[in-house]
Amino acid sequence: MLRQMTTRGTPYLFLLPGLVILGALLSVPLYKVVEYSLYDNVIVERNPTFVGLANYTNLMTDPGYWSAGFNTVVFTVGSVLGHMVVGIGLALLVNADIAPRARTFFRSMLILPWIFTAVVVALNWQLLLNPFGLINYMLQWMGLTSEPLDWLGDPDLAMWSLLLISTWRGYPFIMVSFLSGLQTVPRELYEAAEIDGAGFWHKFWHVTLPQLKPVIFGVALLDLIWTFQLFPLVWLSTGGGPGRATEVLSTLTFRLAFVDFQFSQAATVAVSILIISAAFTLLYLRNEARRL
Amino acid sequence: MSRIEIRNLVKMYGAHQALHGIDISIQPGEFCVLVGPSGCGKSTTLRMVAGLETISGGEIAIGERVVNGLRPKERGIAMVFQNYALYPAKTVYNNMAFSLQLSRMPKPEIDRRVREVADILELTPLLERKPGALSGGQRQRVAMGRAIVRDPEVFLFDEPLSNLDAKLRGQMRAEIKRLHQRLQNTIIYVTHDQVEAMTLADRIVIMRDGKIEQQGTPDAIFHDPDTVFVAGFMGSPPMNLVDCMVTPTGLKLGDSEIACATPDGLRAGARVICGIRPDDIRPAADQPGRATATVPVDLIEQLGTEKLVHFRAGQHSMIGKTGGRVDLAEGAPHPLAFDMAHAYFFDPDTERRIR
Repeated sequence: MLRQMTTRGTPYLFLLPGLVILGALLSVPLYKVVEYSLYDNVIVERNPTFVGLANYTNLMTDPGYWSAGFNTVVFTVGSVLGHMVVGIGLALLVNADIAPRARTFFRSMLILPWIFTAVVVALNWQLLLNPFGLINYMLQWMGLTSEPLDWLGDPDLAMWSLLLISTWRGYPFIMVSFLSGLQTVPRELYEAAEIDGAGFWHKFWHVTLPQLKPVIFGVALLDLIWTFQLFPLVWLSTGGGPGRATEVLSTLTFRLAFVDFQFSQAATVAVSILIISAAFTLLYLRNEARRL
Repeated sequence: MSRIEIRNLVKMYGAHQALHGIDISIQPGEFCVLVGPSGCGKSTTLRMVAGLETISGGEIAIGERVVNGLRPKERGIAMVFQNYALYPAKTVYNNMAFSLQLSRMPKPEIDRRVREVADILELTPLLERKPGALSGGQRQRVAMGRAIVRDPEVFLFDEPLSNLDAKLRGQMRAEIKRLHQRLQNTIIYVTHDQVEAMTLADRIVIMRDGKIEQQGTPDAIFHDPDTVFVAGFMGSPPMNLVDCMVTPTGLKLGDSEIACATPDGLRAGARVICGIRPDDIRPAADQPGRATATVPVDLIEQLGTEKLVHFRAGQHSMIGKTGGRVDLAEGAPHPLAFDMAHAYFFDPDTERRIR
């Protein structure tokens, strides 16, 4: 009896440290955030008042929230599309049948954007995109623009610039995923297609894409989840500005909490991010389960 | 229907030479089988005809055209792959129609052709299925259908039956033969299975280490082999190939002597490799009047219609045959008759036939 209990209990004993850490670092803050979103004047006052769902109704009528939500959708969809197109394109290129050494060189070079931290990426791009930076210099030298553009400071350009940075930063993961996917496509399929008379695009459309479809779907969803709540890159590149031109939900949360000290509103926005992310995550998990 | 001329074909992989000057001339409508052990260059040759491998030297002509520089789709060929290479996301119909769609054939004509071929191959009920929902034999037929709809000048088969189980392989073999009788196309067929080679071919080309060992009709290859390799490769169970000493009256094989006629060029005392098929070694009681030797039988394999008799002769382990109903004891000496009229003699140094 005792022995049975110990053998049954052993696996849980091994799990315990992990569970404790998860509980402390994840569950408690999660619970706290949800709790905060139901109170007013949390943290800044000793006795916050319970307001029920009032914070949520305020949020629903706040144009700032909706504009941040819209920006988040633009930023997320744009980034994921950028990652996909650039990632697939580069994966096809570095999968080409060229000298092995050159291939290894290009593969390693193209993964580089992924190994930099967001701070380095953001600072570098700020320098590059500065009105007196390299990119403006190049554009003027080539005669494409007459005067320097303020890529990150102009409300009409800021989101495009941010998408450029995010695409540059995020494509390597997609590229690597597709590269491994490409290598599982049987060679005979390409040979059969060649004999059937297919050129490059036909082979891509009729052989490569159908074979990669499960990978594309899974990776795109994962990327969507990550990008949706991406904070450091946006905050450090544009800080949500100019004005609110690139304010996304994650930067809005941060601004509400640590700039405006409206912790209850910040918690409410955070919960809304949590709900949407959870929905995507469920979709992703279901997709993965179906693949297994 | 086109003739295929392969002239002095060479393939280099870096410094390694995979093909050493292959010459094959295939008549219009001929069924040519390339056969040989793994790595002999048979698949490489086929893939060079298809245009999937570059040609390092020599020339390939299909019909009247030299195709060396042409892309696969311009060569008028269709190919059936070992693992079928069906497009997994397409239905059977679209798998078969794909090449016609790419060539911008009018839709009604595509439809007519696909349905006609599907009918021949009994694929009509499966047209809307995806390859994943088909059995191995059905996939094999779709792969053949995909080749047939294009009505190519030449069919190329790359070990098409090796992924099927034995029973299905037999059925599909007959089906391919029937198809060839009906369509009369020129075919190059690669296999490592000598039964497929024997049953399907009009001409067999036996390859080894990137060279042609012998080519000819199945009859010629089987009954008139030029080399030890060909003699040992064709036939199952394989021909017995044993080192012998020539004596004034016949051969000395280990301790036993067999009286037989030997080729004129052989002097007494010379070493020779003697080849004799298991079918030509029978129990003495079956074939009175032949050269006999009493040998220890150490194993009997019952195949049903016949039994394989394993015995030792000197250093060599040999195989004879007997009817399935003949009672033979293992582990006892037994008199066996050797039909030396059908024995072959080879030079032990050059491994070539002594006639």
